[in-house]
Amino acid sequence: MSTHTSAATAGGAGSLLSGLEIRRIDWSRLRVLAGLISPLLLLVVWALAVRAHWFTEQILVPPAAVLDAFEEVWDSGELPDGLKISLYRLAAGFALGSLSGLALGTLLATSRQAQIYIGPTFNALRQVPTLALTPMFILIFGIGETLKIAIILKATLFPVAIATVEAVRDIPRAYLEVGRALRLPPWTQFRRILFPASVPPILTGVRIALGRSWMVLVAVELLAADTGIGQLMEIGRQMLRIDIVMVGVIVTGLIGFSLDRGLRLLEWALLPWKRP
Amino acid sequence: MPVLKSLRGWLLPVLLLCLWQYTSQRDAAHAYAFVPLEQVWAALLERLGDGDLLRNLAGSLLRTSLGLLIGVVLGTGVGALMATSGIALTLINPVYQSIRQVPLLGLTPLLGLWLGNGETAKIFIIALASFYPMVLNTYEGLRNVDFRYREVGRVYGFGRALLFRRVLLPASLPSLFTGLQQAVPLAWIAAVGGELLFNVGAGLGNLMMQAETGARMDVIVVCTASITVLGILMSYLTSLAAAHALRWRQ
Repeated sequence: MSTHTSAATAGGAGSLLSGLEIRRIDWSRLRVLAGLISPLLLLVVWALAVRAHWFTEQILVPPAAVLDAFEEVWDSGELPDGLKISLYRLAAGFALGSLSGLALGTLLATSRQAQIYIGPTFNALRQVPTLALTPMFILIFGIGETLKIAIILKATLFPVAIATVEAVRDIPRAYLEVGRALRLPPWTQFRRILFPASVPPILTGVRIALGRSWMVLVAVELLAADTGIGQLMEIGRQMLRIDIVMVGVIVTGLIGFSLDRGLRLLEWALLPWKRP
Repeated sequence: MPVLKSLRGWLLPVLLLCLWQYTSQRDAAHAYAFVPLEQVWAALLERLGDGDLLRNLAGSLLRTSLGLLIGVVLGTGVGALMATSGIALTLINPVYQSIRQVPLLGLTPLLGLWLGNGETAKIFIIALASFYPMVLNTYEGLRNVDFRYREVGRVYGFGRALLFRRVLLPASLPSLFTGLQQAVPLAWIAAVGGELLFNVGAGLGNLMMQAETGARMDVIVVCTASITVLGILMSYLTSLAAAHALRWRQ
């Protein structure tokens, strides 16, 4: 509590004495620095644990060894190649999945017939966890590219379709009636009413789908390890190269983080009225 | 004709099943993946009969319950700590946020090396899967308790323990249950994923992997269906529990 209250009062004092702008900035910087305490502490403990030989080499390597391993797999081309193929799979499966999810969701939300005939099947299939489908997909598609793209397609399609159904359904009727009453041309109705009213919830669904797809892809690459970042980690595990495994963990984490940030940025750019 | 109308939803599944059955009969190459439906049914009866299915199912459920218990208890504790202590928040939050970025099952190679490819690693993954949403929802639940409620507690002269029991806990209970409703399906998926990747012991994921190496699509279909049905059942029971615990809100 103490750091928070002191930072808050300092902020208050800073805005009172607005001439002393520097002072306020100093405090906010200090709070950012406070966030670094525990990660740094963890690093120090890690380094000390290695030095004190608390664990064997196979379990704990020094932080510097992870950096060396990064350099090793980067220079040998294993990491860039693995990343390239993983990201390509993600992009292909995600593009296919979100486009078909968007189409299917719109169909289900706007057509009663579609809801009657497809709705029950859709609701049953969306309950099947993607990972539980993996062995089935392996037998059907083999362990090649088709498997990975089909898995991501499944992981993306359903959340995007669900978000689209909800988004289109939740557009207030009054908005649509205004458009009709003003006799706006269809394109204007879409651009001025449908699009701004439904895009924010759909984008949220897309962002969740992307995070899930990345998780599922890494898991499938670990399982059906032929290429990709998951395979790099799996090989590291089989060779007991914990340094390479840690590089993989850090890189997949960074990519997951960047994907999420990227879509948040897109939301920010597309929806200026939603900016805080 | 209301009966006929309600049948329209069955048209597509029946068509899909017919397509599956047709593909299985075309030639040997197709029958490899698309086994005839009667064979799936036979596999279900056979695995139920010899107790194989129930044994693996019980293994998965037991593992999930244990992992869930650990994850929920620790997650609630850490979330409460972060909500009440600024120092804890400053120290834990950066680490929590960065570890959370790693795709859950991407941690399995590391856990395999650290904890071995056995039960401990699988339970760890399940616990972690339920830990994340519990921390977040406990923190937010306690943080968003109406300031006036705390004031009332203070007026009544409540001590820390009483304030927690009478004010903070009931006020944050909806958020805790939101966390639980996210944690249960995540834990179940993590259990299946962990069993697929750490292929030892009894579990539906293990049974599926064995079936996959033996190209036994019939057994895989039975497992996938069981996992799905159990997942739906768990989410349903959790929401029932939440509705029961929060019934005073109406």
